[in-house]
Amino acid sequence: MAHIHLEDGSFTLFWVLVWWIISLCLIGIALFLLRSKYKPDPKKITIAAFVTAAAFAIFQIQVPIAGGVHMNLTPLIGILTGPVIGTLIVFIVNIFSAAIGHGGWGLVGANVLVNFSEVLVAWLAFKGMKKITTDLFSQAGVATFAGLFAGNLVMIAVILASGIQGVHQTTAQILAGLSLLAAINMGVAIVEAFLTGFIVAYIGKIRPDILEGDRK
Amino acid sequence: MSAFKERKGLIIFGAILIVVLIAALAAYQITGSIGIEDRYNTAVGLPVSPEEGGGTFLGFSVEGNHVLYLIVLGVLVIGCFAAYRYFRI
Repeated sequence: MAHIHLEDGSFTLFWVLVWWIISLCLIGIALFLLRSKYKPDPKKITIAAFVTAAAFAIFQIQVPIAGGVHMNLTPLIGILTGPVIGTLIVFIVNIFSAAIGHGGWGLVGANVLVNFSEVLVAWLAFKGMKKITTDLFSQAGVATFAGLFAGNLVMIAVILASGIQGVHQTTAQILAGLSLLAAINMGVAIVEAFLTGFIVAYIGKIRPDILEGDRK
Repeated sequence: MSAFKERKGLIIFGAILIVVLIAALAAYQITGSIGIEDRYNTAVGLPVSPEEGGGTFLGFSVEGNHVLYLIVLGVLVIGCFAAYRYFRI
């Protein structure tokens, strides 16, 4: 997963505000769409509650792979709830994470954008994969890879655009460092792809109607 | 045709998995085994600070304040229960 794991003060106040404003605009658009165009099916609210709790629970756990990594289930959020509700879920998870001391408040805006890209791309890839294969496991697995790859790209773009206060590395050096980090993150995506694939395949077996809502 | 369509997805998944695995192992060879904060700090050129030693279980640990984690998780579980009671699935 791609979560900007830097402390408050890494970005200048200007960039903290830029990412916060953009993410608040996304939240505003999501709320507007939910109130007007995409009134959610009541059962989707329950699913949203469950994935919010699951994502929060798993996101705070440091997994002992390659020295310590996180999973965040954002592709699963995208697949099960779609990008509109998913935007609100990643905002809530990031707020609660900052509240318990995991990640800085100043980086919540940037992290919402990173996680939103994961939710959106995973949702689109999951829909797209339906045309290629009927196997739910691989649909969700490929969607997870696509979502998390997009998240890593956005994470790198956000950090390069913002710059880091107090460091004297060139952009190329930071890009090289972040590329290595993204590659490690993608290694963790393998675990998340299997996890998401099995969960979605299981849901498809016992309650296919839950997956069909967004796929018509 | 249906069996092929099903297998096609697994072939794509497997191909992506192999590419990702090779890239991740190569990156791991370069960076070595370091914690997530240190990996970020090293990547952007910030000084590496000593990791806070927290309680771990089989290598797994919880980030942030453990008590707050349990409280927030409890609130979310109550929210799930309420949503399930009112809306079902």
